[in-house]
Amino acid sequence: MFRDNRDFMAALRSSGDLLEIEKEVHWDLELGAVSRLACEKEGPAVWFKRIADYPEDKTAFANPMATWRRVAVAFGMKPDAPVKEIYAEYERREGRLIPPVTVDKAPCKEIVQRGGDIDLFAFPAPMLHDGDGGRYLGTWDLAVSRDPETNWVNWGMYRFMVYDSLHLTGFPRPTSHLGKVFQDHYVPKKKAMPVALVVGADPLSHFAAAATYHIGGEEGALAGGLMGAPLELVRCESSDLLVPAQCEIVVEGEVLPDCVGLEGPYGEYPGYRTGEMGNGILFRAAAVTHRKSPILTVDATGYRDDSSTITALTGAIAIKRRLDRHGVPVLDVNVPRDGAVHTAVIAVKYGGGQVARQILETLTSRRALLSKILLVEPDVDVFDLGQVLHAFSTKCHPVHGIHTVQYEGRANTLTPCYSQGERAAQKGATVLYDCTWPGEWSREWEVPVKATFETIFPASVRQKVLSQWRAYGFKE
Amino acid sequence: MASKNEPRVWETFLRRPGDLKEGVAIPLVIRDLNPGRKKYALRHVLAIVSPKPQEIPQVDELRVRTVVGVELPGSWGIRILEELPVELPGRPYQDFFLALKAWVADHKLDREPQKKYE
Repeated sequence: MFRDNRDFMAALRSSGDLLEIEKEVHWDLELGAVSRLACEKEGPAVWFKRIADYPEDKTAFANPMATWRRVAVAFGMKPDAPVKEIYAEYERREGRLIPPVTVDKAPCKEIVQRGGDIDLFAFPAPMLHDGDGGRYLGTWDLAVSRDPETNWVNWGMYRFMVYDSLHLTGFPRPTSHLGKVFQDHYVPKKKAMPVALVVGADPLSHFAAAATYHIGGEEGALAGGLMGAPLELVRCESSDLLVPAQCEIVVEGEVLPDCVGLEGPYGEYPGYRTGEMGNGILFRAAAVTHRKSPILTVDATGYRDDSSTITALTGAIAIKRRLDRHGVPVLDVNVPRDGAVHTAVIAVKYGGGQVARQILETLTSRRALLSKILLVEPDVDVFDLGQVLHAFSTKCHPVHGIHTVQYEGRANTLTPCYSQGERAAQKGATVLYDCTWPGEWSREWEVPVKATFETIFPASVRQKVLSQWRAYGFKE
Repeated sequence: MASKNEPRVWETFLRRPGDLKEGVAIPLVIRDLNPGRKKYALRHVLAIVSPKPQEIPQVDELRVRTVVGVELPGSWGIRILEELPVELPGRPYQDFFLALKAWVADHKLDREPQKKYE
């Protein structure tokens, strides 16, 4: 498995999933536009090797895992592994935690800057979209923080914008793990929260940071489990937080408990810039450490960005586990890539109003990131969106098949269909489309018979047709 | 890059139409649009702005974007009167713009008479 980001880039080069651009590209919109179009075209990851205003030893690597091929490579699988297999592989490895180990020396300490030497403009942080609030140093990142009460260490992938040479503003949502710990344990005591912003770690550390993972879970141990070996961590210069030793850049500092800064607006993973602006948290840098010739990692957020694979995948597995724990007869879950992590397809052994309500309650009780759920029966492959649309179109009753729940204080503030007022109050709703047959309908007398090859012909006829298929003249 | 005496170009974001008040000292967050590595660095300032830049001496250019990042047509003039702290007191996740106004009110900067465009 890949020890660092550079090994991963070499593997992507070998599999044909990395484009290296030697031509000079400007950090001000051009880099973002190239990276955005590459996402939308499902193109390769991009290594920008010459960036305007910056020396040639400061480069940027965009969209590390924005295609399923690159996720497969990161997992050490064949690049053309089916999505279903990648889901299964993550599910298998996720249950195996390997705690990290601490080392004394690390490549990320090759250059160390403190105090007046710190200049956050020294890295080619891109202006990713025209009209964003600023340049984002933290997109494909990993923010390390600690709960002072329990010592739980949280890793999360949160956006961070360059404010001036010494400050960043960030928007870990108030309901995020970092946001919750900060508000519960630091703000009331007026204590600054130590945070280390890690850029360019190995791919599975970022994957673990971005994963939908339970509160109290250590993403460092999850990363080790995904890699199959303990991750090496090294102590920060200005705090006792630990960061991946092999990463490219670490910005150490504190989130201030009694200050605010402008953050955003920003073109986010749902594929829109929603006007989420002005309510950020303010981070003051205390030290910056980095490798020689640091490579800044970038997620060109928007439609089909890195979240469309990794957040979707880990979200789906988390939903499956959660529903299972709550007694829902769940079989399989897919968070489809083009649904911007807002839609889930959930297959259950049986549906009906009670199961629908239970699912809505379970998935919106703490924070509600999904706004649409399609509930299907086992005859539908949740990964085949044609089958899902067919079930939705034919089986979901326009009145009785629609279940909704509304909530306040825990909605996804980035959901584009919410008004500015709803966003401010974190008000939202989730709808579940029940595409299952009502339980009270008789299978013999009432449930319509599905008219597909697999379901409406006797086995003997199906076998005959399949065995004679080419003999009839069909090629495939 | 602009020389010291040349007008500079700044940009601000507004939460709603009408937030940019003409002819009185108002707190603003502005970002530097002048080319170079520090382009887009942010500052908090007290400033006077006008849609008629020729009426303000020592004027810089101010461009305006909305809460969703859309650039409004035309540009304003801006004269920066005072620098405000970057570490602006406020409760995290609360409205930044309210915190900016509160700081100015707490320091009575909004009560000092402003001679028009002086």
